[in-house]
Amino acid sequence: MAQPAAGQPAHLKHYFVSSDQQFDAAKMGMWLFLITEILLFSGMFVAYTVYRVWHPEVFEAASDLLDWKLGGINTLVLLGSSFTVAYGIQRIQRGDRKGLIINLLLTLLCAAIFMGIKYVEYSGKFEAGIFPGGNFAPVGDYHGHDMANYADILFLPQFFSIYFVMTGIHGFHVLVGMGVFTWLVIRSFKGDFSPEYYTPIELTGLYWHLVDIIWIFLFPLLYLI
Amino acid sequence: MHASSAAAPAVHYLNNEKTIRSWLTTVDHKRIGMMYLVAVSLAFLAGGILALLVRTELAAPGETIMGPDAYNQTFTLHAVLMVFAFIIPAIPAVMGNFVLPIQLGAKDVAFPRLNLASFYIYLIGAVIALTAVVVGRVDGGWTFYAPYSTSVGNGILFITMGVFVMGFSSILTGLNFIVTVHKMRAPGLTWTRLPLFVWSIYATSIVQVLATPVIGITMLLLFLEKLLGIGIFDPALGGDPVLFQHFFWFYSHPAVYIMILPAFGVISDLMGTFSRNRVQGYKFVALSSVAIAFLGFLVWGHHMFVSGQSAVSSIVFSLITYLIGIPTGVKVINWVLTMYRGSVWLQTPMLYALMFLITFSIGGFTGIMLGVLAIDVHLHDTYFVVAHFHYVMMGGNVIAALGGLHYWWPKMTGKMYNETAGRIAAALVFIGFNLTFFPQFIMGSRGMPRRYYDYLPEFEIYHQLSTMGSYILGIGLFMILGYLLVSLFKGRVAPANPWGALTLEWTHTTTPPDPHNFHHTPVVTRGPYDYHLAPELFADGHSGDGANVSPESVHRSPSEA
Amino acid sequence: MLVTVFGSLIFLTILTVVSSRLDLGAFNVPLAMLIATTKAALVVGFFMALKYDNRVNSLVFAVGALFVIVFLSFTLLDTAFRGDLPNTTKGTIMEMDAAEAALQARQDAGPGAAVAPVPPPATH
Ligand SMILES: [Cu+2]
Repeated sequence: MAQPAAGQPAHLKHYFVSSDQQFDAAKMGMWLFLITEILLFSGMFVAYTVYRVWHPEVFEAASDLLDWKLGGINTLVLLGSSFTVAYGIQRIQRGDRKGLIINLLLTLLCAAIFMGIKYVEYSGKFEAGIFPGGNFAPVGDYHGHDMANYADILFLPQFFSIYFVMTGIHGFHVLVGMGVFTWLVIRSFKGDFSPEYYTPIELTGLYWHLVDIIWIFLFPLLYLI
Repeated sequence: MHASSAAAPAVHYLNNEKTIRSWLTTVDHKRIGMMYLVAVSLAFLAGGILALLVRTELAAPGETIMGPDAYNQTFTLHAVLMVFAFIIPAIPAVMGNFVLPIQLGAKDVAFPRLNLASFYIYLIGAVIALTAVVVGRVDGGWTFYAPYSTSVGNGILFITMGVFVMGFSSILTGLNFIVTVHKMRAPGLTWTRLPLFVWSIYATSIVQVLATPVIGITMLLLFLEKLLGIGIFDPALGGDPVLFQHFFWFYSHPAVYIMILPAFGVISDLMGTFSRNRVQGYKFVALSSVAIAFLGFLVWGHHMFVSGQSAVSSIVFSLITYLIGIPTGVKVINWVLTMYRGSVWLQTPMLYALMFLITFSIGGFTGIMLGVLAIDVHLHDTYFVVAHFHYVMMGGNVIAALGGLHYWWPKMTGKMYNETAGRIAAALVFIGFNLTFFPQFIMGSRGMPRRYYDYLPEFEIYHQLSTMGSYILGIGLFMILGYLLVSLFKGRVAPANPWGALTLEWTHTTTPPDPHNFHHTPVVTRGPYDYHLAPELFADGHSGDGANVSPESVHRSPSEA
Repeated sequence: MLVTVFGSLIFLTILTVVSSRLDLGAFNVPLAMLIATTKAALVVGFFMALKYDNRVNSLVFAVGALFVIVFLSFTLLDTAFRGDLPNTTKGTIMEMDAAEAALQARQDAGPGAAVAPVPPPATH
């Protein structure tokens, strides 16, 4: 790889004419990646809609088994993390590196809370025998619901298949995001970012907001209605 | 740069670094394209040998060389390899990678490291998919219809993961090309001056980015269905197997356009260059690619007419399927017009373009037949369908890929192949191909079902013709492999612009190209096929009867004069 | 401005929880989706700054959203009208098995026994 010519910023790759062109290209690439993520999730949303249209009463009964309070807290936590990312980008645009690092750390904290609550939800369900699909074998009492009443409802296991697959893939995206944010925090400490160059933060921010948007739809669909 | 400079440059992309390591870690789009060429050729070779085994089994009724189980696994592996490991990456990943950035006047794609990553993701995916052979029993064809696919053997776990992973390679390549076309065009290269190859790769990339994620989630769900029994597709657990078909075909019908759109692009470039003429109706040809890309998303249900889907949706899907005939017809008519008004120079690449017009048109028309509801009920799951999609995939994509390979081979390797051998092989491919697949239309319409290792005596003559054809086709393809390899060592050094083409990869780079493509970013002042504006190639620049069609007859190279 | 957007998002989250606690009949689902879409639009427009961004990125996003709608609507065109051909069976294997088992149980109990409810017919 050829070294950047004299007088050019270190981050500028030789096959680009200008920093602006490089930034625009990176951003457009990220948006394209985001729509592939949207279409990936769309398969799950289609499956959800088809089965909900077929069996609305089953889905309403099943969503009673999810704790809307935990889901609601997680919604607020994720919205908060989206805010800190957006605010962090605003800080580095204004040259405030410390502000950036604080906001990135807050984002990581929110993500960790989110995953912690997810862990509580999942483990509670597993104890009550709520597994996806063919492994669905409800036992005992779950948050005041006698699980015996749910054992023979046709298509109830499918709701939980969809629940586990959707939130599972979403949770995986949160974990990936946490990994990337950790890397960004390390780079920020090294002083890699400046008002002239913060592309990785901008792109990771876009990704993180998309993860938030997916949850914005998952929360009412699974927990509320 | 004149057509006649026959000396290769001292430093070019093939010799600027020589170690194996420099190849494996390269971010040069040209080298990545060449690595894809090797990889997809191996996939084609493996898939082709499997196809010959299938045809040999069918040479006579009853068991010939393998039993029903082995037969099912053989055709399944043939299909998976050919579709996911060969046809999908064939033109975009090989020629798209090599040619597209140069045609845009760019030094590289927008994300070179991502480009290299795509290649390795493709390799990993292919290896995972092939593991299924060892684990065993994948015999449901490339469509993996649930619940059958989840009820046999564990091989399906690997093959779905393999397809899932190869899908990411396809997505990232498409993403890279879209951004490259948007952001990396040379000064003066407006959208209406883009070579039609660029337009078609651009349209292909849109399909790759939009459709491939859905096969990703489909494969993931099928994987979980097999592993955990999630019951989304398995009817025994309350799932809907028809929903699987929706998921699968939402990707796999557009995937047909991932296969055929790049072929249209290659053919457009060949038509312009070897007819010495502007491609007629340039804007219509360019935009019809985009129209096909979008319409292609609205027709997937035509694969499901007998699946039990609702009649309402069958009717809608059938109607929209007819619409696709319009932009496709626009292209074919404009290609014929281009030749009619131009001066056709019959070199090997152009022979493939002519072949394409015939074989692809047959494939296209029979496709519209299959889109007719009532006819499809009769022809569904017969050899008619097999013949149709081979006419589209092989008669369309592979023929065009061969044309493109012969066209860009001098640019890629710096060597000319033997023209006579090229013409003989082209004839063998054409005869072999039609002899293989045309009888399949006839036996299909008479009721020969697909995917059977045995058949009734009345189909024997058709199967035997088909098997003979496949051997001729095989000989033709091996001959191509042979003379291309020979040309690497004994071939004549290629002139910079042996075909007298006007796109940037021929007019503004050396042969083979410089590691950075251009010493100075080119400034584009004319369209990709504006022969009337290119007096430096053909002294008088006119077209029509008596025009100079061969650049060498104008500028004879000094070494041969 | 980011703070205002964040505040609106919190407010809409509370609104969607409250509205789902009320029984609005058929309106519960559309209302929840409307609120979710509004929230998504706020995140896309301001947090992701698409409102101020290069227009080609908006086009990319719009095309992505369009094809989600295509996927959903054309699939529903089948599933919502499934069984409109006279020679196809309605319902899934599971539903048919359950209905058959219920009929069998009623027959075994003999005439005069309490009639077990037969599961409702398949809805699609
Ligand atoms: Cu199709």
